Amino acid sequence: MSLRISALRKSFDGRVVLDGVDLDVQAGEFVAVLGANGSGKSTILRCVVGLESPDSGDILVNEVPARPGASQAAMVFQKIHLVGRRSALDNVCTGALGRLPLHRSLSPLLFPAALRAEAMRCLDRVGLADQADQPVRRLSGGQQQRVAIARALCRRAPVLLADEPVSALDPHAAEQVLTVLAGLAGDGLAVVAVLHQPELAREHAHRVVGLADGSIAVDAAPESVSDRDIESLYGPAGLPPVTVASA
Amino acid sequence: MMATTDEATTRTTLPRRRWPTPRMLALVGVVVAIHVVAMRQTDFSLGALAQGWSGMADFVAEAIPPDLSWRGVLLRSIKAAAVTLHIGLLGTTLSVPFALALAALAARSTTSGLLAYQTARSLLSFLRSVPDVVFALVFVTAVGLGPFAGVLALVFHNTGVMGKLWAEAMEEADPGPREALRVHGATRAQVVSHAVVPTVLPQLIGLLLYRFDVNVRSSLVLGLVGAGGIGFLINQSIKLFRFDEMFTHILVVLVLVIAVDQLSGYIRRRIGS
Repeated sequence: MSLRISALRKSFDGRVVLDGVDLDVQAGEFVAVLGANGSGKSTILRCVVGLESPDSGDILVNEVPARPGASQAAMVFQKIHLVGRRSALDNVCTGALGRLPLHRSLSPLLFPAALRAEAMRCLDRVGLADQADQPVRRLSGGQQQRVAIARALCRRAPVLLADEPVSALDPHAAEQVLTVLAGLAGDGLAVVAVLHQPELAREHAHRVVGLADGSIAVDAAPESVSDRDIESLYGPAGLPPVTVASA
Repeated sequence: MMATTDEATTRTTLPRRRWPTPRMLALVGVVVAIHVVAMRQTDFSLGALAQGWSGMADFVAEAIPPDLSWRGVLLRSIKAAAVTLHIGLLGTTLSVPFALALAALAARSTTSGLLAYQTARSLLSFLRSVPDVVFALVFVTAVGLGPFAGVLALVFHNTGVMGKLWAEAMEEADPGPREALRVHGATRAQVVSHAVVPTVLPQLIGLLLYRFDVNVRSSLVLGLVGAGGIGFLINQSIKLFRFDEMFTHILVVLVLVIAVDQLSGYIRRRIGS
């Protein structure tokens, strides 16, 4: 099992966000996590990579307990978090900083040739080898997110987490990013992506997990997830009718 | 039933003016009182200025026209201005590694702990609060009169000022890239190198150029206390009552300051584009 989360609890200022979440993800599996804003989706991922400390529960990545700053999981973010003035290749190389000696890591000029070659392969894997020299700020949002995925690949982690990776992207770019993530699961990575688009989750993921009130309310194969399941996560579609004042 | 938006559109009366509250008036009164005390303590007197204007006019009349003789004054002035420029340049650039290290320790987002943070902040405060002229006087006793004492004085003082400004810029950096690199196992030094500094590089360079501008002007003052450069010539001219020479030196300073200002403005624009 690549990722095993057991009885995970987390609260903020007395408000329980995660109330005993259990989730197992196997190598080669692409799990989409759905749920309304504030349901705790992102908190799960942030606990796995050590950006938040759980109140209780266990997180194992490749059977090793996840520790802050030393988790064996890589992550991509909704806001991408690349350095815009640096090239795509230099950004991807920073995914490997954790295994570089300090004297070879303080500047892109010092990065070993082998690392640059590996970063190039990661860029090639996400279809952006031809953009390696481009400053990231000149790339489109979808391309930037794929560079962020390449950086996560350069981490060589067995688990890849994606926190709303397509929320800020147009449908075409979102499709490309999710195709890349599904492809990486096909390569043997355990991929967990928080999404807000049930239709994309059904299309690309191997499994759909839905969170409601801090607990897992849905855990099923995409074809088994019904509209009623989605409604149980987000509420009925549409907004209450607006009353218009009469003159 | 009436919607809230309809209420807003049907209201025709103007909102009442908001007059200053007694608290605001009291605050203004306190500020005025502080200024009155400050003026008394500094012997601030427009009358004295009006009475003594003729002395100023005599001074200016003696300075005009400036002595523009090439060999006697202008060449010497330009050479001294180059020394002033070089004092300002070295005083700025040689402080960069110290300012960068202290800034990283003095920024909450990048410091390695409370002790390091407090130590770095205290050191920066000390270096900033000792005027560069005082540093210059101290270093003159160590290395003698001349530009080197000026360079050392500026390196110390500028480390304090630039370290503080850079620390604040680093604290305001977008936390996203920092968080992403931490997740990928980067150490604190790596996060500073690859997430913080590149994110705020335009601000850091802008502040560096601003400090270069200030340091060139500071090195003029340092010349007055024996640290060489054109400030030293201005001091000599005043002591010898050669106000026409002094005016020439001031004109050269004016050209130097404008040139430095234009250069730093050009570089800032290039970085920003």
